[in-house]
Amino acid sequence: MRELELYFGPQHLGMVGNFSITLKVEGDRILEATANPGYLHRGFEKLMELRNWIQNFPMVCRINVVEPDSMEMVYSMAVEKLAGIEVPERAHYIRSVCLELARVGSHLFGLWAYANMLGFDTVAQWAMYHRDLILDLFEELTGGRVYHIYIWPGGVRRDFPEGFKEKIVKTLHSIGSCVPDYDATFFNNRIFYERAKDIGKITREEAKEMGATGQVLRATGMKYDIRRVEPYAAYNQVPWDVPTRKDGDAFSRIWVIRDEMIESVYMIFKLIDKMPDGEVYNKVPNPFKWNIPKGEAYVRCESSRGELGLYLVSNGEDKPYRAHFRTPSYPHGLTVLEKALKNASIADVGNIMISLYVVAPEIDR
Amino acid sequence: MDRNQLIKWLKAPAKMGHKYSLHVIYFCTGCGIIEIPPSITSRWDAERFGIIPVATPRQANLFLITGYVSVKTLKPIIRTYEQMPEPKFTVGFGSCPINGGMYWDSYNTIKHLDKYIPVDGWIAGCMPRPEAIFVAVTHLWTLIDKEMANGYKKYRENYKYYRANQKQLYGKVEWPPLFPIEDKDEPSPS
Amino acid sequence: MKLLKEKLESIFSGVQVNILEQDRLIMSAQKDAVLSILSFLKGKGYTHLALISCVDWLEEKEFELVYVLSAYMQKDNGYTDKEKTNIILKTRISRGNPEFLTVISIFKNAEPYEREIYEFYGIDFKGHPRLTPLFLEREYKIPPFRKDFDTREYVKEVFDKIPFVENKDGKK
Repeated sequence: MRELELYFGPQHLGMVGNFSITLKVEGDRILEATANPGYLHRGFEKLMELRNWIQNFPMVCRINVVEPDSMEMVYSMAVEKLAGIEVPERAHYIRSVCLELARVGSHLFGLWAYANMLGFDTVAQWAMYHRDLILDLFEELTGGRVYHIYIWPGGVRRDFPEGFKEKIVKTLHSIGSCVPDYDATFFNNRIFYERAKDIGKITREEAKEMGATGQVLRATGMKYDIRRVEPYAAYNQVPWDVPTRKDGDAFSRIWVIRDEMIESVYMIFKLIDKMPDGEVYNKVPNPFKWNIPKGEAYVRCESSRGELGLYLVSNGEDKPYRAHFRTPSYPHGLTVLEKALKNASIADVGNIMISLYVVAPEIDR
Repeated sequence: MDRNQLIKWLKAPAKMGHKYSLHVIYFCTGCGIIEIPPSITSRWDAERFGIIPVATPRQANLFLITGYVSVKTLKPIIRTYEQMPEPKFTVGFGSCPINGGMYWDSYNTIKHLDKYIPVDGWIAGCMPRPEAIFVAVTHLWTLIDKEMANGYKKYRENYKYYRANQKQLYGKVEWPPLFPIEDKDEPSPS
Repeated sequence: MKLLKEKLESIFSGVQVNILEQDRLIMSAQKDAVLSILSFLKGKGYTHLALISCVDWLEEKEFELVYVLSAYMQKDNGYTDKEKTNIILKTRISRGNPEFLTVISIFKNAEPYEREIYEFYGIDFKGHPRLTPLFLEREYKIPPFRKDFDTREYVKEVFDKIPFVENKDGKK
């Protein structure tokens, strides 16, 4: 048999996002895979050096389009660390509620992509509908469906409106009451089991060597979660659990996503019960003349895909000197993908890629 | 009835075919991929307007360029556009293809998409809502009725200038020209 | 944390260690000692290389390479204090002739980070298996992330000079 070189390119029905893989194929078996990013590169980190600290806020949330709140959170944490700003207690709780709602929305988007690719159209439509209900909540709170610009250094921008807590509880109940339907149609389905079991297997040692975090590591049995390791916002005020599975293949990764969604919903209920009253915002100096003292900081938080970090350097001026984002899809999409695709068949490329939970704009920035 | 009215009625079934069954090509070019799945699923159903996504450019009619375009993405966009059969329509989605948007000083994004492929209409916003897509589609129907949505005719007539712009950006364009142009270094399309 | 600081300062000479707050350890070292410090830290349990970054100090005419390390858990349950710490290691290399050694022999996932730094700053890593372009596809005279590359001038020169396409009657 001869070798062929195929392009699983950007315009393809099995590709979510603008990303391309070059495959070296013999018959139906893949010998070697090379990832080819760069279709979405905007030079973010260079553009951030030309804008003020406050002007960078609308820029930062556009790095990960599926879940922009965690980007705003990590930038706020870094600026607060450099400038020494304190955040009031109620703002910590509101930030946690926003981040967990964004996490549920992002997992529902991933479920749409995966179910659509496997052929389960019904479940895909349900997942997208439930995500729209969560985006309606965000629209009432912040004014925008997708890009919120709500979390900024000093707290959050405005308080919950009247009756908002009851609306959150009602929406989450209406989503949670559909979980038996999801289970019966997708998660306990024999076809999903046959198509995803033992596909794209990554052992724990390989995952640790390649720098993987997030679902890729939790599906191999390790309970590693940044919200437990160094708690930020209000995560150490309520009891919660880190779900794991044992096998490390695509089946385990999707089950970990499902368990995380349910855990997040319970966490939101507990946080809303325990929320104190008070202010939500500490004033920052005049944003046009705000100079932050010299220093550097590395902060990290847990986005829905893994460990998200930011290395921020300031030179005492009113613009950042260097900002470098460590996004979770960078090792997953460039190192783990090339390892998981060896000796797979062509029909499984989309399956493995979407179950590794890679978002293309995060790699290119 | 006079002859003009009869010709107008005979052309109308063709226009109705163009309008009410626009097939969108499935290509996620940029940021705007976030607002396309809500508009094709059950809450804001796009199929009642006749829009469904298809897999290949040979079966498609409408090209939605969602969000900003980087220098590396423009090549697949041009090749996909040239493979679509006529009549074809292009709509720019978001404020980045209009004049660069938020990334106006980036070294890797295209500022005016109009210089490289013809665009029939723009949708403003960052991100536009799904209802904005449907308003744009109804505007496109009015343009098709009045025969003003002729970006593909403009591409055929001014192909020399479009290809010169593409060459000035990339230095060398690898694929042969789509329509015959008189140029010494271009191979003729076989 | 204090034990680690004392051990590092006793074994390697020319190393400065600072402890910021309770979880962050920042150290700067000479460029010849970097590989041995990294293997020493990996033996102590810091096996997760999170980030390799680069900062361009134009006035001092130096590049600064930054390595960020942290630790995975040893057992399945229970966190010790070691997992909370982040170690940041910095070295300086000269700007006129930038080159350095690769750390792939110690940490396997350093490959795409070093490729990206080669593309954006022009630093050559000796011993790297493939230093091909990762994101960009055209040649730039000055690598784009350096401080003397002016991106607004570049936009004016390359993109704004391409003309709009006009119809025969002068409309666009």
